[in-house]
Parts: sequence; structure tokens; C-alpha cells
Amino acid sequence: MSGIDACLVEAMQLPGARGAALVDWTSGLALGTAGEAAGGDGETAAAESAELARMAAEHGTFAPGGGQDKGLPVEDVIITTRTDYHLLRYVETSFESSVFLHLWLDRDQGNLALARLRLADLAERLVLG
Amino acid sequence: MSTATLGDASPSLSPMLARLAEERATGALLRDHGTLYLLDGQVVHAESPAAPGLDVLLADRLPREGWQEAFDRAGPYGRVGRFLVDSGRLADGELELAHLGALFDAAYFALAPGSGPTRFRHGVAHWLGPVRPVSARLVARECLRRRELLDTLWPYPDTDSSPVVREDLDAPAPVTRRQRDVLDLADGTRTPPDIARALGRPAFHTLIDVRRLAAAGAVTTPREETGPAPVAVPRWVADVSQDPDIALLRRLRNALEAL
Repeated sequence: MSGIDACLVEAMQLPGARGAALVDWTSGLALGTAGEAAGGDGETAAAESAELARMAAEHGTFAPGGGQDKGLPVEDVIITTRTDYHLLRYVETSFESSVFLHLWLDRDQGNLALARLRLADLAERLVLG
Repeated sequence: MSTATLGDASPSLSPMLARLAEERATGALLRDHGTLYLLDGQVVHAESPAAPGLDVLLADRLPREGWQEAFDRAGPYGRVGRFLVDSGRLADGELELAHLGALFDAAYFALAPGSGPTRFRHGVAHWLGPVRPVSARLVARECLRRRELLDTLWPYPDTDSSPVVREDLDAPAPVTRRQRDVLDLADGTRTPPDIARALGRPAFHTLIDVRRLAAAGAVTTPREETGPAPVAVPRWVADVSQDPDIALLRRLRNALEAL
């Protein structure tokens, strides 16, 4: 099993996980998906979550100075709805990229704090092995 | 960007690429602006002079010697990618991310509409070997989606291939770190792909940044120097010069003298 797929499969093992995707926020392309697509269509879900991730990563309010030279200024974005959680975690790579993990959780069964920690770990292991 | 415009029929997939995918062909699809490598009908790699290759993107991560070793040991077997992971040079996911980034980046140029004849060389394999194959349909769809995305930002495709120059604005809009790097290299000589290569970034990232900057008025694409614009003259002047009709010339002279 490949690095991306293994990462998404692990993310799906979190309690309450409904869908997971690895998305490029510059292009809006999903590089990998697992489980259901939030909103029913994977392509739209990737494009819309990418737009949100880009805003948070680039706008000065959240990323002062447009981001410093080293490291990503924003770690994750959390959306809470009446029934779900959406967790976007930026993946830090040694080369120029713009990818994040999107985990969609059922709010009743999901544990946001746990999911946040696990997703951070998964994002790191994806590129470090 | 809506799926309705893309449709199930996928008009973005050229008949030739569709047929190669259906036949599960293996080889290289050669076009004017790049090459697509197929393995069993799936896209395993893409290259374009306009898009920085994996070696450029990973320059900080993998030194030249690392590439050389992998190329010497695994190149003849077409398994350089696998070798980089197995030898511990790169993590699985890391290679996949960089590879997919480079693949879609180059495919965007390789599959550009109307870029000359298309040839397919059967049996040709890329030295990298399969890393994470992508369906031809998805690659074609993504290229179309990217074109639409760029046009939404600033609907002038020439921006992608023209030299860009930074504009001095009285009240410049805030720019991102990525855009700032692009602005620093917008010297009126470099094109967006030149800037991407200099920065070691995917070309598409730079196309996006340049289109956004152009829309904000922070960069412009200088036009070729064509000298002073030709003075517009009435069409009949040309007719006169080709017509040796003395009577007409006389009428003209008389008309001028009467002014």
C-alpha cells in the first residue's frame, strides 16, 4: 500500500470518520480519497475545501506576513457543523507543495481533540515515512 | 469548475488519448509542449520544458549525487522511483506527493489545446517507473479544470507564456509569501515558467500567482516593441499608388491644391 493511501486508511480508522482526502490547495485537486465524499461529490469537495485552506494559509489575518520563510504559519482549520466536524491539516513538505489532509467526522461519534492530534501525526509521517 | 461543464462525456479527453487508455497502451505520447508516459493505459509520468522536473522540485531534499546513484542503479530497469524509497532516500508519501505534483504540472502543458501534432511511441517507458499511476481521464479532466481556474482569475491565457514585469503601485495590495517571491523575479524578461524554475516550484503555482497578481494590477505583461504604430491611412491611398491612372492623379492634385 502506498504512502498516501496508507495515510488515508489510517485516518479513516479514527472514531466517527466518514471521509478523508489529501488535497492540493493551489489547484483544488484531490490526490487521494477514502470513505465518503463530503457533500456527495469528491471533485467539488476537494475544490471547496481547497479554497478554504488557501484562504486560511494565505490571508494575513490568519497567516501574518503571508507566512514566514520557514514552516507553515497555520497548522489546521476546524469547521464545526450541527452534525459533523471537518478538520483540515496542512502537510509540511521539504519541497514546494500545498497539500492538506481533510478529515470529515461524524460529530456524535468523533473526538475532535483526538482526531486533531492523530491527523497532525499522520501528516508528519506521510512525508517522513 | 462545476461538474456539469466537465460532464461524463469528458470532452477534455482527446480521441487519441481515450483510445490509448482503452487499449491499455504503454509508451510515450509526444506533443509540442510535453510528453505523457503511459503504462497499461494509465498515466505514470509527464514531462514538459515549461514545468520543473522532479529533480528541480526536490533539489533541496535530494542532492544531485542521490539522483545519480538512483539513476545508475535503477535507471536501466526503469525503477528509479522505487529505488529512492527502498534505499531510504525518500519516504513513500513524499515521493508520491512530489511525483503527482510534477505529473499534473507537466501534463497541463503537454495537453494544452492545439499544440501541434500528437505522436505516440509504443513501448517507451520512463526511467522513474510507476509511482502512483493516474487514469488518463482524470489527467485530462484536471488539465481542463486548471485552465478554467486560471481563466476565472484573469482571463488572458497569454499571461502564462509572456515575460512579466512588476508594476510600481501607489497602494499595493498585500501579497502572499509565494507571490512576493514571484514579484521579485518579475523583471520583464522572465516568463512565469522561467520564474517557477528559478524558484524550484511547480509551474502551475506560479501561473496561479501571476494571474492573481495581474488581476490586482501588480504585474503586467510587456508587449513586444513594435516601433511607432503605423499611421492609419484611408484604404484608397493604396489603390491610388497601384493605379497609374493619370486622370485620377490629376484629380487628386487638383483637390489638394484646392485645399
